[in-house]
Amino acid sequence: MKQPVSLPRLINDIVDSPISPLVDKAQEADRKAIAYTCSFVPEPLLNVEGLFGVRVRAPGVSGTPMADTYLSNVICSTVRSILEFVLEGTFSSINGWVFTASCDHMRRLYDNLDYLEHPDFIHILDVPHKRSEAAVQWMREELSMLAEKLADKFNVVTDDAALSRAIDAHNEYLALMRDISDLRKRDHPPLTGAMFQALIAAASSSPTDLIIPHLRVFYETARNAPGIDDYRARLLMAGSHCDDPHYIRVIESTGALVVGDRTCTGSIPALAPIDDEGDPLTVLARRSLSNISCPRMMEEFDTRVEEIIAAAKEFRVDGVVLETMKFCDTWGVEASPMINALRKAKIPVLRLEREYSLGSEGQLQTRVQAFMESMGK
Amino acid sequence: MPKYFAGCDLGSTTGKAVILNASGKVVASALIRSKIDPIETGREVLEMAAGQVEGLDVRDISYLVGTGYGRNEVPFANENVSEITCHAVGAHYMDPGVRTIVDIGGQDVKAIALNDDGSVLEFAMNDKCAAGTGRFYEAVVRTFDVTLDQFSELSLKAKKVVPVTSQCTVFAESELVSLLYKRHPPADIAAGVQLSVAKRVFTLARRVGIRPKVTVTGGCSKNKGLVKALEKVLRVDIVNLGMDPQFMGALGAAVIALRKQGN
Ligand code: SF4
Repeated sequence: MKQPVSLPRLINDIVDSPISPLVDKAQEADRKAIAYTCSFVPEPLLNVEGLFGVRVRAPGVSGTPMADTYLSNVICSTVRSILEFVLEGTFSSINGWVFTASCDHMRRLYDNLDYLEHPDFIHILDVPHKRSEAAVQWMREELSMLAEKLADKFNVVTDDAALSRAIDAHNEYLALMRDISDLRKRDHPPLTGAMFQALIAAASSSPTDLIIPHLRVFYETARNAPGIDDYRARLLMAGSHCDDPHYIRVIESTGALVVGDRTCTGSIPALAPIDDEGDPLTVLARRSLSNISCPRMMEEFDTRVEEIIAAAKEFRVDGVVLETMKFCDTWGVEASPMINALRKAKIPVLRLEREYSLGSEGQLQTRVQAFMESMGK
Repeated sequence: MPKYFAGCDLGSTTGKAVILNASGKVVASALIRSKIDPIETGREVLEMAAGQVEGLDVRDISYLVGTGYGRNEVPFANENVSEITCHAVGAHYMDPGVRTIVDIGGQDVKAIALNDDGSVLEFAMNDKCAAGTGRFYEAVVRTFDVTLDQFSELSLKAKKVVPVTSQCTVFAESELVSLLYKRHPPADIAAGVQLSVAKRVFTLARRVGIRPKVTVTGGCSKNKGLVKALEKVLRVDIVNLGMDPQFMGALGAAVIALRKQGN
């Protein structure tokens, strides 16, 4: 596939390193890095003045022997890979950690990190399994406790005005990413799915204000670039955690073009603008509960299916790749009925079960190629 | 010069080539063990096949389709198609009634469900691990110190089945050694090995649905003991395709090449 644009070198460097060089830079300016692992954590709360959020990834992890002794090898490998890096000391420059009780595997990560490393700051948010108004109030309480704890520990201001400023700044980032995402709706998108994933991974693991100028440079080049016209099929990626652009690169090496995503680390619907009216904590609580498509949320199955169908139409895809992390219970339960529902809606689906780190590239290519061939592409 | 169409399947263990004439008849086929360099395997196996047709040079083949792991490396290929599609096309070409294919190759096990027109409806494939594949059998026959054919025959002579619990290639070797030391009849252990592979295939095939006719393709299809064990666990008869099932990928590729004739 001919690629009209390439990523700035810094983005590639960030993608391949567990700690973004921009994190070091921000810490030199006396800002504190707060790590998080899950989309339910509201980024603006970690981005108040003096702090910045870093979504942790474990690029290049080679096996998880140490983590396997504390967890077990039937725990989701995203979680094991992050713990392995924690135990190797890769994340020791991080100033604090915020977790969510999004699933049991993540909770075990929190427990082990707390027990083994005693970080200076560690907190876990309890996230309700529903979206009702009562759930939003519950979540607001959770966020308010975290806001207070952050303010005390790091001597920062987390009042409404500070949060509103952080929300505005985050909206600037979201708008830019939406613009880039919209380029993928073109008949001939100028960027690949792997590139988009790299931008997301780099941005979420760097201080937003420091990465925005680089994203903007990319956007300006990409929007005037000619576009990829030699792809075989347009695909939408849905499913669990996928913060590794190389995984998408292998999929695309078969001639497929991933034009949209609906993963918790991908673009939609978490790129929607955040309300800038009303009580900021309530706004953030509501957003966490309603913009993240995660199978842990009970009673929302139909909504998740509809979101994928709508995205498949919006991005005009030929088929959906549902990638799920091995041993993930929530996706383990969700995947089969979801495949049935999507097929019923006449959308071809390929299910890929995967481990966090990339392996068996040949088999992955074969599966994707056979999927495209079965669609007559 | 009449027109010829070929398929070349570069697998992890063997390279296969099939040549068809313009009316779709198989005029040549060849199989060799894979070399380190897939391009060399491809070149050699294609030349062997072309050598069976008088006056045919590989370069004169009208359309050539590559498949298998080395499909990007097939010399002179006009295009490549995944082995899943090729096995489906090949098996359907030999018997249009086939609806389920179990392909057991050197390092892969696949189950493929076909539509009535022979296109792929659904497929499932093993992950990294080589349990239940040709690689696994290589380790097993090493332990038994026999050839694969002898092993297959041996398993057919079993009076009862000794359960072999480990499906992992590495662990199975030591489990087999200890079963042999415990003086279980080798034939019964061999039947246990076949059953353990068949059970693994069963799980995979269940994911795509087992609809007759069912056939087995790939290198392990020649292992009669395994085919018998598969019939037992899948509870179906396995149909014979009338051509060496190891060639189904290459045949499918050649059929796709033939279908491109007009283009
Ligand atoms: S992929 Fe599944 S198991 Fe892993 S963190 Fe996400 S929800 Fe939990």
